[in-house]
Amino acid sequence: MGAFLVRKAAVTEWIRSLAREQPLFFPQPVGRSGFRFQPLREGSEVRFDHYRPSVVPPGRQLTPAGEVLFRYRTGEGGVPGFESVLDASPRILAGVRPCDLRGIYLMDRVNREGRDDPHYLTRRANTAIIACDCLAPCDDFCFCETVGSLRWREGADLFLTSVDGDFLVEALTPLGESLLPGTGFARCEDVAGLRARAEEVRVRPFGRHFALSPERIAAILPGLWRSPVWENCGQRCLSCGSCNLVCPTCYCFDIQDDFDISDPSSGDRRRNWDGCLLPNFAEVAGGHNFRPQPSARQRHRVKRKFEYLVGRLAEGSFCVGCGRCGRQCTVGIDIFDIVSELVAVAEPPP
Amino acid sequence: MIPNFTTPDVAAPGVAASGVFVPETACSRELYLPQAARLLEVEALTARESRFKVELPRPLGHRPGQFVMLSAPGIGEAPISISCGPRDDAILEMVIRRVGTLTRFLHELEPGQWVGVRGPFGSGFDLGDFYGRDLLFVVGGLGMVPMRSLIQAVMATPDRFGKVTLISGWRTPADELFRAEVQSWSRLGEGSGRVRVIRLVDDTAKLPWDGGVGLVTEPIADLDLDPERTVAALCGPPVMYKFVILELVARGLAPSRIFVDLERRMRCGVGKCGHCQINHLYCCQDGPVFRLDRVAHLPEALP
Ligand SMILES: Cc1cc2nc3c(=O)[nH]c(=O)nc-3n(C[C@H](O)[C@H](O)[C@H](O)COP(=O)(O)OP(=O)(O)OC[C@H]3O[C@@H](n4cnc5c(N)ncnc54)[C@H](O)[C@@H]3O)c2cc1C
Ligand code: SF4
Ligand code: SF4
Ligand code: FES
Repeated sequence: MGAFLVRKAAVTEWIRSLAREQPLFFPQPVGRSGFRFQPLREGSEVRFDHYRPSVVPPGRQLTPAGEVLFRYRTGEGGVPGFESVLDASPRILAGVRPCDLRGIYLMDRVNREGRDDPHYLTRRANTAIIACDCLAPCDDFCFCETVGSLRWREGADLFLTSVDGDFLVEALTPLGESLLPGTGFARCEDVAGLRARAEEVRVRPFGRHFALSPERIAAILPGLWRSPVWENCGQRCLSCGSCNLVCPTCYCFDIQDDFDISDPSSGDRRRNWDGCLLPNFAEVAGGHNFRPQPSARQRHRVKRKFEYLVGRLAEGSFCVGCGRCGRQCTVGIDIFDIVSELVAVAEPPP
Repeated sequence: MIPNFTTPDVAAPGVAASGVFVPETACSRELYLPQAARLLEVEALTARESRFKVELPRPLGHRPGQFVMLSAPGIGEAPISISCGPRDDAILEMVIRRVGTLTRFLHELEPGQWVGVRGPFGSGFDLGDFYGRDLLFVVGGLGMVPMRSLIQAVMATPDRFGKVTLISGWRTPADELFRAEVQSWSRLGEGSGRVRVIRLVDDTAKLPWDGGVGLVTEPIADLDLDPERTVAALCGPPVMYKFVILELVARGLAPSRIFVDLERRMRCGVGKCGHCQINHLYCCQDGPVFRLDRVAHLPEALP
């Protein structure tokens, strides 16, 4: 697969030309300090640096809120007909950072676990990803290195690394290769050398670090079911669910029907993002709630990311260390702090 | 345009030559797609519960203890237990309590109208665990509905099992489900003494009642029960399990001989939506029927 050393201006021009051919989502500044993945238009800025994670992770493009699962129509004799809706329109996600790339990789796994989810996988198969390496932490919330996301490349079709003011552009898949311009990019022979060069300037240590590895964290969590740490963060939590909504590896959903007001015999079934921090997430008929307290829901979230899914899928930490949940929480609950406290309780520093 | 969409990793199983991803099997495409089923009968059993009989395009091929996702297009979808034993025809029986939006709507339907059905889903019971054993069924309220699918399967070939005991608990006599059918089971065992039925209510509510008054836990201590020969199956409201299990364990029943049918909120039925999790397990996939020794150590299993 090809690798090229390209001037930044040429990369920008190339991204712009791709965006003219199909929807290309690129993180763009919105409001004062937020970023959003949205279609790149003529005149929008293309900047790979000065990056802060978008509020909503790019992977959410693959499960858009309110996506239609199927349409129904009541036919002759009242018999309902159902038609599955799959979105196979091509798109490119560009400017995806390693943590979010790993998030998408994990969602690929989840959606192929057991039965394939045709809606996600169809969109995913028609999505090309242009990822970009991080050489400095985006801000103080970042902890991607400690959970194994910083050097993640799998799932990207093209991977960009900034080297001395230019970009090393590596095609990782045939699809990635096919997105490169025919000529104009100078082939680069010494990929290893350039990557080593980028590694030299990468900030070290990168972002915040846990005192234990993800494997050890998964191993100590079962013994911490009754830790006071849950109650402490549960007491502050407002159960707003923002931490779920911004997380690249939260994928729980709810399903709702919608009928066409002008023709009630037809309509669709949709799915919407849901979150395990919301109070009635685990409530059943009769009113019994299996996680009534915020502390039980916090524990579930943390154990899901750091223990349950780790054991179930054997893909390492399900928290990719993007820092979004901590950045977003109005009362300052940060999953990094929760896990650090748990680690300190289980294995106090000597 | 993007010339060739063969993202190898993800799409490999179903990438068509055109490059557009096509899920490999019809089943995959239909993950959330119901099949239309015609309502044959609706029979009110109590003030809140009705029995629904529907006809599917093809037999479900279910095991006892499995469930379906039942829907009314435009209204919604919910997990509902299959209430009949395995059968060769395409008939599905359910008992539905009116509690909210969808269930209220379903109760308004009449024979000849249509619903949507996905499934069957879940682990269900494996009859192999019950052959040749004495069986003890403990049910509370609506727990009778899924358990009926197992008991019907047992009653279809009673000679393949040992003694059968059913303890059922209801709030009042007016809440009892399947009284006639339960009586027919107990007649099956008349003379041989092989089927015993203990029917209890919390409160007779001044209604005529030929059963006992009390909780389903109470008769267990005095049952004629050989713990080495017995297998128990439990289904009822969340509060019931812990106390019944305590009684059973006190009688020497090993957790590996106790099966629990657990309820959780479910939105998808196929292990994707996250609602039904019991610690790391998915009730909709790994359950809803669990062998107790496989979940007893999980703090969220029997709260
Ligand atoms: C495996 C399983 C088998 C079940 N079998 C039966 C059965 O045989 N007969 C029967 O009458 N009921 C059964 N239920 C319960 C049934 O699914 C709920 O009563 C139904 O979802 C309520 O839907 P609704 O739209 O009428 O109520 P809603 O208006 O949605 O809500 C009413 C109440 O139901 C709760 N609820 C909503 N959605 C769900 C859900 N998906 N799962 C659980 N609770 C929910 C709500 O929190 C609320 O307390 C079963 C549930 C499970 C998980
Ligand atoms: S964002 Fe903060 S307050 Fe809101 S649910 Fe999450 S932890 Fe609780
Ligand atoms: S749990 Fe928080 S830090 Fe971890 S991946 Fe999710 S949003 Fe990012
Ligand atoms: S019901 Fe959706 S994961 Fe089990």
